[in-house]
Amino acid sequence: MNKLSLTSILFRLLQKDLLIAYRKTSSYLTPLIFFLVVLTFFPLAIGSDSSFLNRIAPGTLWIAALLSSLLAVESLFNEDFNDGTLDQLFISNQPIFLLIIVKVFSHWMITGSPILLASMIGVIFFDLPTSSIFTLLVSLILGTLILSFLSAFGGALSLGKGAILSAIIVLPFSIPVLLLGTAATNAAIQEIEHSSYLFFLGAMLFIVMPFISIATAEALRINSD
Amino acid sequence: MTSFNKVKDWFISMGSPPFLYKWIMKYLPFMILLSLLLVFISLSWGLFFAPTDYKQGDAYRIIYIHVPSAILSQSIFILMAITGGICLIWRAKVAGMLLRSAAPIGASFTLMALISGAIWGKPTWGTWWVWDARLTSTLILFFIYAAIVGIYSSIEDKTKGDRAAALLSLVGVSMIPIIKKSVDWWQTLHQPSTFTLTQSPSMPPEMYLPLLANVLGFYFLFIALLFLRLRTELALREQRKNWFKQKILGD
Repeated sequence: MNKLSLTSILFRLLQKDLLIAYRKTSSYLTPLIFFLVVLTFFPLAIGSDSSFLNRIAPGTLWIAALLSSLLAVESLFNEDFNDGTLDQLFISNQPIFLLIIVKVFSHWMITGSPILLASMIGVIFFDLPTSSIFTLLVSLILGTLILSFLSAFGGALSLGKGAILSAIIVLPFSIPVLLLGTAATNAAIQEIEHSSYLFFLGAMLFIVMPFISIATAEALRINSD
Repeated sequence: MTSFNKVKDWFISMGSPPFLYKWIMKYLPFMILLSLLLVFISLSWGLFFAPTDYKQGDAYRIIYIHVPSAILSQSIFILMAITGGICLIWRAKVAGMLLRSAAPIGASFTLMALISGAIWGKPTWGTWWVWDARLTSTLILFFIYAAIVGIYSSIEDKTKGDRAAALLSLVGVSMIPIIKKSVDWWQTLHQPSTFTLTQSPSMPPEMYLPLLANVLGFYFLFIALLFLRLRTELALREQRKNWFKQKILGD
């Protein structure tokens, strides 16, 4: 039996997850559609006055992104837990938190990156200035990545218990992301200095990524004993 | 050195349920009496004998409930994180039970701080609730408490539930500074902390001495409540063990 290097193992894990998602259309379409539906409901519920929509747009986009990343978490570990893939990862004798970082990253590519595309439709819906698109996209990339890591932790801790429990766990921790993300987008719409918010989001991503993935590994270990 | 070893031995023996149960039963009546007495004395000192504030009138007296509960809501979380660490690292069963017993008490004190704050806010700020940084982060602390209670009560297996709650309280304690900083920077209206370790308080001693007494009394109240809950938790989990059947249930 030939031995694989760690990088090729991580690469194959990524490849496997992406391939499964590619063959199962619902895995990447459902969060996308959900995001759009939530976006549509805000003008319907609150009112469609253009200047007003402009003001609530950042908050709406971010809440929709938060909700769809929370709902998507069930597909992250549940299937792997049920068919035994998770046990294989644990006995593979590889650094488990690296495997989890790769899994969360592939999950983000499947469920998070379509939201970036859909947020462009949000820009049209809420009539946002084109100058704010770049900031919105960068903040959404960083923010949804952080949210993916946080919801992976929530999903691992509430493995097999349903999405509501995981939402209760994740939502308090995602408040900094929500505040920084909406502040960045708001500042970009008003065309004032906003790069510091993006730096903060980036810093948070690099704090959250290693620590939360270690905690996620521990949570999975607790639940799969 | 020997006294240190004695403390260490005592601490380790506390990890054994029969020993802990016996120890709790020995000190429980004393703790309940002491805490009720302390709370009674310091509350009546604060509510009836402390001078009236020249700006807020008698409404300020709710500070004698508000501040101790707010202090406790944070202390209990730190206690939970420490016991959570012990539970995860050394797999100590008793640490998990302690965490489980402390969580609902902590949640109640947080809720009490929120409610008493709202009642205090009405006469002084003119509104029950404002989206101020400290109020918001206390509310978030309450949500994290609720999540911890939610996770352990949804997991059937007691040991697994302990470890999940321990992990969540550790992650919570490390995320709280980030949450607090981001909310602080979001907006601030609340008056600064009443007590700091480095400066003497801005209140006259006739006002802050009863407050200190109340903080102490609430700490003892917490310990008494913790003993009560821990006793129940021990009895629930160890009811099928031999020591419990023989020593507690009779024969």
